[in-house]
Amino acid sequence: MTWWSTLFAVSPLVVVALGALLLMLAEALGRPAPAADGAVVTDVGSGRAGELGIGSAVVLFAGGVFALSLWMVGPEALPGAEGLAPYFIVDRFSAFFGVMLCLGGGLSALLGGGYLDEHGIDRSEFFPLLLWATLGAMALAGAGDLLTLFVALETMSIGVYAMVGLRRNGRAIEAALKYFLLGGFAGALTLFGAALLYGATGHTDLAGIGASVGTIGQPGSTVPAGLVLVAMALVVSGLLFKVAAVPFHMWTPDAYEGAPTPATTFMAVAVKCAAFAILLRVLFGAFADERVASWGTGWPPVLAVLAVATMTVGNLIAGRQESVKRMLAYSSIAHAGYALLGVVAAMRSGMGQASVLFYLLAYTVSTVGAFGALILCGRRGAEAVSYEDLAGIGRRHPVVALAFSLFLVSLAGIPATAGFFGKLGVFLAAIDAELYVLAVVGLLNSFLGAYYYLRVLVYMYMREPSPNAPRAVPMRSGQVGVAIAVAALLVVWWGLFPLSIGADVTAAGSAPMAR
Amino acid sequence: MDALLHRLEVLLPADEFTLLAVILLMPLLGAFVNGVFGRRLGDQAVSLMGLASIAISFAGSVVAFALLAFAANAAGSGESGHAAAATTFVWRGWEWLTLSARAGYSVPVEVAFSIDPLSAAMALVVTGVGLLIHLYSTKYMEGDPGYYRFFSYLNLFIFSMLVLVLGKNLVMVFIGWEGVGLCSYLLIGFWFEDGANAAAGKKAFITNRVGDFGLIVAMAMLVYYVGSLDFGTIAANRSLLLQDLSYWPPWNRLPLLDWMQTQSDWSVLSTVHGWVTTPWHASVATIVALALFLGCVGKSAQIPLYVWLPDAMAGPTPVSALIHAATMVTAGVYLVCRMAPVFALSPFAMFVVAFVGVSTAVFAASIALVQNDIKKVLAYSTISQLGFMFLGVGVGAFAAGFFHVVTHAFFKACLFLGAGSVIHAMHARIHATDAAQDLRNLGGLRRFMPHTHWTFLASVLAIAGFPLTAGFFSKDEILYRAWTSHLAVPVPDGKIPGTTVTMTGWPAWGPSVLFWLGVAAAVLTAFYMGRLYLGIFWGEFRGWRIVRRFRPRAAGHHDGASGAPGAPLEGPMPRESPLAMTVPLMVLGALALVGGFLNPHQLAVLIPGFHFAPVDDFLAPVFATAQSFGEVAIITHTEAGSVLAALAVGISVVAALAGLGIAYFIYAMRGGTPARELAERVPWLHRILLNRYWIDEVYQEVPIGTVDTLASAAVWVDRWLVDGVIAGISSGVVRVAGTVLRLFQTGRVQVYATAMVIGVAGVGWFFALPHAAARAFGDDDTGRYSLTAAPGLGYGYRWDADGDGAWDSDGFGQVRDVRFTLERERSRTVRLEVENAFGLRSMRRFEFTRPKVSRARPAAGRNTVIEIDEAGGARTVTLPDGRKIELEAPSPAEEGAR
Amino acid sequence: MSLVAHYLPLLLVFLVAAAICATFWLGGALVGRKNPTAEKLMPYECGNDTEGGRGIRLHVKFYLTAILFVVFDVEAVFIYPWAVLFKGLGWVGFASMSAFIVALLVALIYVWKKGALEWET
Repeated sequence: MTWWSTLFAVSPLVVVALGALLLMLAEALGRPAPAADGAVVTDVGSGRAGELGIGSAVVLFAGGVFALSLWMVGPEALPGAEGLAPYFIVDRFSAFFGVMLCLGGGLSALLGGGYLDEHGIDRSEFFPLLLWATLGAMALAGAGDLLTLFVALETMSIGVYAMVGLRRNGRAIEAALKYFLLGGFAGALTLFGAALLYGATGHTDLAGIGASVGTIGQPGSTVPAGLVLVAMALVVSGLLFKVAAVPFHMWTPDAYEGAPTPATTFMAVAVKCAAFAILLRVLFGAFADERVASWGTGWPPVLAVLAVATMTVGNLIAGRQESVKRMLAYSSIAHAGYALLGVVAAMRSGMGQASVLFYLLAYTVSTVGAFGALILCGRRGAEAVSYEDLAGIGRRHPVVALAFSLFLVSLAGIPATAGFFGKLGVFLAAIDAELYVLAVVGLLNSFLGAYYYLRVLVYMYMREPSPNAPRAVPMRSGQVGVAIAVAALLVVWWGLFPLSIGADVTAAGSAPMAR
Repeated sequence: MDALLHRLEVLLPADEFTLLAVILLMPLLGAFVNGVFGRRLGDQAVSLMGLASIAISFAGSVVAFALLAFAANAAGSGESGHAAAATTFVWRGWEWLTLSARAGYSVPVEVAFSIDPLSAAMALVVTGVGLLIHLYSTKYMEGDPGYYRFFSYLNLFIFSMLVLVLGKNLVMVFIGWEGVGLCSYLLIGFWFEDGANAAAGKKAFITNRVGDFGLIVAMAMLVYYVGSLDFGTIAANRSLLLQDLSYWPPWNRLPLLDWMQTQSDWSVLSTVHGWVTTPWHASVATIVALALFLGCVGKSAQIPLYVWLPDAMAGPTPVSALIHAATMVTAGVYLVCRMAPVFALSPFAMFVVAFVGVSTAVFAASIALVQNDIKKVLAYSTISQLGFMFLGVGVGAFAAGFFHVVTHAFFKACLFLGAGSVIHAMHARIHATDAAQDLRNLGGLRRFMPHTHWTFLASVLAIAGFPLTAGFFSKDEILYRAWTSHLAVPVPDGKIPGTTVTMTGWPAWGPSVLFWLGVAAAVLTAFYMGRLYLGIFWGEFRGWRIVRRFRPRAAGHHDGASGAPGAPLEGPMPRESPLAMTVPLMVLGALALVGGFLNPHQLAVLIPGFHFAPVDDFLAPVFATAQSFGEVAIITHTEAGSVLAALAVGISVVAALAGLGIAYFIYAMRGGTPARELAERVPWLHRILLNRYWIDEVYQEVPIGTVDTLASAAVWVDRWLVDGVIAGISSGVVRVAGTVLRLFQTGRVQVYATAMVIGVAGVGWFFALPHAAARAFGDDDTGRYSLTAAPGLGYGYRWDADGDGAWDSDGFGQVRDVRFTLERERSRTVRLEVENAFGLRSMRRFEFTRPKVSRARPAAGRNTVIEIDEAGGARTVTLPDGRKIELEAPSPAEEGAR
Repeated sequence: MSLVAHYLPLLLVFLVAAAICATFWLGGALVGRKNPTAEKLMPYECGNDTEGGRGIRLHVKFYLTAILFVVFDVEAVFIYPWAVLFKGLGWVGFASMSAFIVALLVALIYVWKKGALEWET
């Protein structure tokens, strides 16, 4: 039954889509929670953030479970999966990203449930948006065709634009508008590049483009090399925007800071991971020819320069921030730089792609945890934002402080955490690819990074809040607690037993990128 | 008893010694519970948790120790006196990560722990002294708001220290190493409200990073050259470390040097050229050992990285006793002992260890002469004693050096705790910490604090080396061995195998210099310890006037009277500390007196034919590997008969008595007048010592100043270049084309978009421009050189390979490689031009010169080839000279039994 | 032939076009006579005097309705080609389009219940 196997092959997407529809119906037809102070409730789904958060998390975890079962059955064993290519490629790579994105999205949804409730942001459309954006991200990770690429990219992006501006204050709207404008610009670049590629090669599928690029220089080839190069510059630039690589990163701090923290989390983990997935697919599916993927002339030197710039700029500016949220935003830029390092290494090293995947996985759980802990450190009207707000949390709320420390230590790449193995893998891949200078620069950068992450620890454990400052009173939320616990468990688990997942990451990373 | 041990041995087999997990995890559990729930549990429960976890750990260590001794006995009786391999119990956790070494050979790193006589002894000291100090802390820290935090950190420290000690491979040791560093940082800055304390913590942390760098380098080299980080495998395969490593010059070719070589007119330049390019060689073992030692220097506070330890006294006194005297700082000595098989391969590195050690011993002791802060005196004394330990291990007397670690743990912990007791008592009135521990405010305390006084006296005698105390036996053994030991080069002909490079040997003047410097340090030690003891406990009390049955007036609590020296204040009597504090003092004091009888070699001078050295015998199998290499005995020891031994003992005793006697004369009989007169007569000397040779200031200026300058430069660049130029460009672009963007003036979205445009343009520009890049390969020996151009989409290439200035072909083709041969001392300029799809061209020149003599190739070039037999795990190693070495991978059972 | 040479004519066309535009515009601006009066400087608005500022704020509902219309309208476009090929697509085609329409329906319900279609509030 090919039909069933096809359905099973896309089941993660289908589950998330169906779940999203059901959630929308539930929100639309359900009864709003009665307002506490007798105010008139006009919006359906009002005051239901907690329930919707759990619902979305359930949907996304269900999607993750389907992706996991797809992984266990093995996409290569499904006869129906072939038929979807190139529009949607069902392979270990997309199944891996399915699990990762559902995990990141689901944990963000849990954070959202706790956060929106606590801060009285009565915007229940956050959850459908989150689900659809996750769907877009999952589709993006499996896109093997420029058409799917663009549709999935926009599905993901439009949801996120709205999530950024969810809180209707000036800063959030400004952030959303900036993100939207620049995102539109980047989307246009990608689209223009895609059009040029189609014009130059006559293909929209990445595999076909790759094959056409391979014929350049052979007698009888009509593919114009110059056009391909220009198109490659445009497509890659557009994708680098989503990755938030320097110099396409400038929207990041504003958007991350203006967005409600769960939305920030989602952007930092799911959007970034999906963008890396499609970047890998495009680079190694369409532009894997030796002549564009060589160290002398093609995209690797460009990406190498951008990777170094990204991590350095991200780290340097993150070190100067006074807001922890903004620091995390800049640090996520730096993390994109490390992952880009792995992408560059993948041109020559077989470990490269796997190292990127593990990096993203470790980064996902650490970042979700860090933002979750930051959420828990504040409460309504007194969100913990600056370092000062965190002073003395170590004493007032030792469990949260401990978890926060764990995630920061993981982000800093200190051993016995998942983050360490993420960095280790990327650096080893760079060394394997004989990119020693890049590995050293990455290493130096991770020292830079350790400085500002540990600064949070210093504030939490070694500073008392100044007497007149408003004290952040940690909030209580089971949902956020569960999200943090799951993230912490994974950070420690992968830090202590990295080999438990090593073979899987390698399998996901060694799948051919285009069919 | 034997039956019980038999039962235990069956229960805990040597190759799966799960007791180690218990020993390790109990302190971790204590740290976790106290850290997370401590505030809710209350101080009682916190103390119970902290003490119980360490007590269980200690009990486990005792059991492990007993089993080891039992197993060693059994083996010893079986083989009748033959030096058996060290008994080792192993607990394998899981495989943690895999590193790749040469030739794709992967090096698994396990989370695994093992215990052998060395680590068992160390674990006993750590948990035993740790237990006493925990007990002491329950009273010392009583009422501190951070009580639970303190115990959590202390337990975490014990855990990390045990990881360091019990780790089966260098990675585990490194984790423990960093862990103890972290705990030390946290505990030094425990009272972080005072900025100075936090700064001291930071200083310790940063100084240690310098040392850690060495450790990381050593680990990387061991992975590369030996293909393992496991101690057993390193020791078994250490012959691989006897390779030649040309560590200078670090580059293949530098244009500047090539240019210098061609300037035959100026002889200076060619001299400099010859000087700079002369290759320097050393054995890999030397470099690895020195890199390891750099780590030890940082952790164990030796010259030049000792500066953090005196500042570390900012932490609570039990911390100083446990971490900065008894255990953590001795980790460096432990590591040298652990890596003894590697260190012993390089007499040069061993001499560096010994010399740095003895220099530090003298240097730190000289500073300790004039310090007034009692904890500072003890800190410099610790640095000095650590120097002694390194002297011991550096001359190959590993057991002696390690024995000094043990005895030092007893008496220095006792001294620190005694000092803590004094400070505790002084705090009754003087609330300024600095004043409470200033020697000028103390005196005459023996009347008020008898227990503290007697235990302190015992420890002072021990550290001074008073005959028959613990310090006497351990220190004298080190000095004696320094005088009589000689380290031979591990290869018969003195050359690194397969090369003509001579290995640096043990200098002939070494023993006497080391010995006499050691004796000088011993005299100084006895003197300043005498001064400290007399200053605290003898004479008149100088802190304030003591009023019997003093009652503080009203509620005016410690009204800022910090007790300036000589100020006629009135106050209560200092009182003896409570039992929880004095019991540890008594235990440690007793050990300081009699602990030496665990290894009383020196009694042979009095009783001919006497042999009783349990510690030496127990540890001997651990260090057996280091003693010799193949047929060559490395560490030899002149048994010059009892006369020399007696002479050494005599000198040692005289040194101790002289130091103590001078101190007694000056401070007890003359009230310190001679010392003051000397200070007035030679003021510069006094100033130098008092200001600790201004080393801290120099460090502040030179390395830290450099970093600061760089940071300011970065800020400047950021402000002027980034802000100025980017903003400038963007405003220009905006003015030209910014109608749409101007609608969104609220933020700086224009700048963002501009950056993106610049980015796209940059990426496109790089793709659109042609890049004539090529990789050059060459061999100066054969004169064959080749160039391979980087491939590019739509590129055409043309070459000028013969260097005649004309292109070899008019058009652009697809030939990407050229090869050619050069005669000696000939040069050639090869040009490459590429044309890309846009018709743009790029050209580049490549200069080739074949030198008169072949340059020394970097060591990596003459590769050692490792072949791995997948099935058996056996490896064949082909050394550069063509010799082959078969390495058998130790099977788990064998290794467990070792 | 290289790409630059290939597209050179196109570039020339652009340049010529730009030059012609610039000529007429600059020519008019430089040569033409100017006689500005207050009436002439007013924006032309069907003979009426202008009122208010330039930026007229329309109620967000206009945009909302417009975008909803566009969304549903554009999606209806997909149904045309489907209808043309309906016979060939079979049950799979039917199921696909049903899923599509159900999704639209859910979206409609959502929009409706959220109050986006209510003009008077």
